[in-house]
Amino acid sequence: MEYQPTIVSFLCNWCSYTGADLAGTSRTKYAPNIRIVRVMCSGRVDPTFVMKAFREGADGVLICGCHPGDCHYHEGNYKCLRRYHLIRKYIEQMGISPERLRLEWISASEGKQFAELADEMTADLLKLGPVNIKNVLEEV
Amino acid sequence: MSYRIDPEFRKELGKFGVGSEWSECYHCGNCTATCPLTEEKILFPRKGIRMIQMGLKEKISAYVEPWLCYYCGDCTKTCPRDANPGELMMALRRYLTSVYDWTGLSRKFYTSKSWEFGFILFFAALVVALFSVFLPLRPDAEQMVNASGGVMINSLIAGMSPSTFVSVIEWGDWIMAMIVAGLLISNILNMFHKIVLSDHSVRVPLRAYFIGFWKLTFNFLTQARFSKCDNRNYWAGHLLLMTGYSIMFAVIVVLLPEFQTEEVNPWYHWQRLLGYYATFGILYFLIITAIGRIRRSDINLRFSHSTDWLFIIMLGLTTITGILVHIFRISGLPAATYYTYVIHLAVLVPMILVEVPFSKWSHLAYRPFAIYFSELKKAGKPRTADIGLAPAIS
Amino acid sequence: MEEPRIGVYVCWCGTNISKTVDVEQVTAAVSKLPHVIIARNYKYMCSDPGQDLILKDIREHQLNRVVVSACSPRIHELTFRKVLVNAGLNPYLFEMANIREQVSWVHDDRDIATGKATSLVKAAIQRVAHHEPLEKRRVDIHPATLIIGGGITGLTAAMEIADSGNQVHLIEKSGRLGGMVSLLHQTHPHLTAGNELIQPLIDKAQPHPKVRVWLNSQIEEVTGYVGNFRARIRSGEEVEELDCGNIIVATGTKPFDPSQIPEYGYGMLPGVITSLEFEEMLRKGKIVTKDGESPCDIAIIHCVGSRNMEYHPYCSRVCCTTALKFANQIRAALPDAGIYQLYADMRSFGKGCEEFYMRTSRRGVIFMMFDQKGKLPVVKPNNTGGRGRLLISTRELLSGEEIEIPADLVILMVASEAREDARETAHLTGISLCGNQFFIEKHPKLDPVATTTDGVFIAGSCQGPKDIADSVSQARAAAARVLASILCGSVEVEVTTAVVNDKVCCGCQTCISVCPYHAIHFDEEKRVSEVNEILCKGCGTCGSACPTGAIHARHFTDDQILSQIEGLLSPITLKAMEMAMED
Repeated sequence: MEYQPTIVSFLCNWCSYTGADLAGTSRTKYAPNIRIVRVMCSGRVDPTFVMKAFREGADGVLICGCHPGDCHYHEGNYKCLRRYHLIRKYIEQMGISPERLRLEWISASEGKQFAELADEMTADLLKLGPVNIKNVLEEV
Repeated sequence: MSYRIDPEFRKELGKFGVGSEWSECYHCGNCTATCPLTEEKILFPRKGIRMIQMGLKEKISAYVEPWLCYYCGDCTKTCPRDANPGELMMALRRYLTSVYDWTGLSRKFYTSKSWEFGFILFFAALVVALFSVFLPLRPDAEQMVNASGGVMINSLIAGMSPSTFVSVIEWGDWIMAMIVAGLLISNILNMFHKIVLSDHSVRVPLRAYFIGFWKLTFNFLTQARFSKCDNRNYWAGHLLLMTGYSIMFAVIVVLLPEFQTEEVNPWYHWQRLLGYYATFGILYFLIITAIGRIRRSDINLRFSHSTDWLFIIMLGLTTITGILVHIFRISGLPAATYYTYVIHLAVLVPMILVEVPFSKWSHLAYRPFAIYFSELKKAGKPRTADIGLAPAIS
Repeated sequence: MEEPRIGVYVCWCGTNISKTVDVEQVTAAVSKLPHVIIARNYKYMCSDPGQDLILKDIREHQLNRVVVSACSPRIHELTFRKVLVNAGLNPYLFEMANIREQVSWVHDDRDIATGKATSLVKAAIQRVAHHEPLEKRRVDIHPATLIIGGGITGLTAAMEIADSGNQVHLIEKSGRLGGMVSLLHQTHPHLTAGNELIQPLIDKAQPHPKVRVWLNSQIEEVTGYVGNFRARIRSGEEVEELDCGNIIVATGTKPFDPSQIPEYGYGMLPGVITSLEFEEMLRKGKIVTKDGESPCDIAIIHCVGSRNMEYHPYCSRVCCTTALKFANQIRAALPDAGIYQLYADMRSFGKGCEEFYMRTSRRGVIFMMFDQKGKLPVVKPNNTGGRGRLLISTRELLSGEEIEIPADLVILMVASEAREDARETAHLTGISLCGNQFFIEKHPKLDPVATTTDGVFIAGSCQGPKDIADSVSQARAAAARVLASILCGSVEVEVTTAVVNDKVCCGCQTCISVCPYHAIHFDEEKRVSEVNEILCKGCGTCGSACPTGAIHARHFTDDQILSQIEGLLSPITLKAMEMAMED
């Protein structure tokens, strides 16, 4: 069967999850490769979650939070941003291309942007090909 | 080219017999859609209403479309805002008549009753004076009843042979015709300048002038454009009037010696038959129109400007006195014939002088020429490449 | 922990879901998963019979966990939690899988959509197995209310609350009450004087025993939570802290600065003024040009800064009717003046406003349409003579003509835009901002004055441009919400807070440094961190920062999320589905 990437996406409850809902209510079609996990704040995204997703076979992980300055909890998205850079370095060391992890800001009104993001990331991952997590794990 | 808005224009137009109903227009375009005469490049009345609302005076004077409308009234009937577009076109025709007229008299006649009546009375008085001084009734007129039982009209003048009298009247006719034609032609040239020459956006090829001329003649003779209106009765009535009037005009100017004869011809003579047709045509139309205007039965007769009534009254008087002259003549009543004849001329002369170059009758010439000019513009090629700037809403 | 007994319910949502997702197949695929006792699908799970179905199953099959796979939890999570409560279960033993907004409405391929929906339901099942009962807590509501903004909205809300005998603190940034309305000479469409509307309110509010008016004052900090906010207010040099149970934000808007639009020449050409400057002129009683002469022609340009992608995309809602009002006022003062309305679209909506438009159009006012998306009208000095010191050139859309309009005075109907401190106010009070910097309501239709922060309400034009009538309605609506909560006396607070397992905590204090609410303190005696659950808002940032895993972010625990990820990614083979179908 043709390779189809799987993306696990962590969306904050206030902005990005609502934005994804808006894509739905506006019937904006996007790639079905994305699977959403709701968290209260992008600051809740533990590096373990990202690792777990790759471990279980995700080809990409997308974290979405409120735009800088718009965080419902003031600064959770900044915490997430700092953590994100570290996780990227970490997965690279493990042999997973850092491009497979993305952090984007999606507000509650950006349904269309969310759909575009899903399409874009799916297309990027199609180019990158599957992670082959088993090989990665063996190497480690 | 951009047009400057003239806020005073609305007031000016108001003097030509239209209220401000047009300000109600919200440009739904129903009037244009319902009009059977609008074409792709000839859009009215909505476009005209817009120009008026904005006070685009310059643009209006180059607006040929009012002449292409025959006022069936369908636009006014369908207008959801009662903006009365049909009557607005009528008022625009009055206004445009005054725009084309370089003497300024047309404007005076349309906007001032004292000017109009003064002018009419002056020429009526002039005719009466001329007759009483130079062409009085013969004292022995009663003896002039001839054997055939009619009055020999040309013999009723004191101190003048019948043939001399006919020549005098014929000369008078020709002079009047020249003046009227001169004025009318100069006004048409003015109209041509405003509509065709001033429009720098199109260049009319020479060929179009010849092709278009055929349409001018054809439309003048048949009023074919009018027949495209939904109610063809209007066209038939109008054609009757137009032909009657034209025949009458032709016989009293060009064919006067054959028309105003010594002999009373038998009823089937061409001269009498033509006269009867013309009289019937004019009279029929006048009666129908007068009744319509009084009853306000049809939408196009609902609103009457003073000049509309003046036209009916003067043409009616002319026709009635003309009929009376005829009746008195064949009844052998010389004095009655003479005095009615003088009254007939006293109405006819000012009517022609006022109506033909300056007022309502001028449309006889403006209408066919407008068709001609619009044909020219349709045939014209755009001079600049601003086709992209076509109006968003037509 | 007891053995999970899970009931799974897949909703059709009429055809909304069932058209794209094979609900039968999803139900069958998950019915054989561990702990799933029963799996059903139904036309409308949120309907009364749908809810009864769950209720009955809980009782009959002794279910202790429920998964509903339907729309977004933002819509019906509370509905289904209530069902659990009615059945005697803790409401947090519930999880929703969003297969409408995330699947059926955004994907077309039925097989793929069905597969994705199955993954989401499976993830929810794995997650719910780790859910734990959480107990709701109630806190008392402080009866005082803080209202930010002393315009007509703030004043109306203040009077409504104070008249019912509750304390109101009305905070006004400027030195006077009355806001924008007090700047208006008259209001549309009834031409009532602005002062007539606002002055009685000010006169009533100022001496009111239950209203404390704070002029020249600003909020510096808001702490606490619904029912128990504490605000620090600065008036000049003085700083005071006060307690309140609810907050109404009614900070209004500010006018757009038209000098940003070069075409209109505002600030360069003396005859070009804004709508508010014209209001001032009207209040002074004389319409004059800069030189003190009476203008012959007055042009009013609409949508200045509104409905223009370069400035603000939205409609400011009041300018069209205000422009009509101006036309009436000008006509009354200058019967012979030329009045031109240059509009992009006339929007005279609202009770009595279309009629007002009709009446105005009969008063010799010329309406001309310009192309808002194309070239804007250009205002220039008239150097060619004739009427008007200024000339406005534009292409008029209804005629398609390039025209020039003479004018001695040009009034710019400026947009209403968010105040420059909107972002700051939003941060202080925990409100979200939309793309245009206006405050976002909790639900645009069903909850228009609440915000995502409990106890904080918004009213008036700080939520979006509004006329007086709408602002007053919102003020009264917000006041009603506040009064309802005061009357109730207490309020349920979110229980999804963080908690520290002091046996695991190593005392590194990383959590303290990341908490935005200072809700975590360090217990020096025990050498561990401790969460103040009333201050904690449950963002979970501490949970992901904790190196030892001592912090337990309730309802978003590591276990719950990790098992959800596992569920999302566990392969659902066609064979497994077929097997399930055969059974």
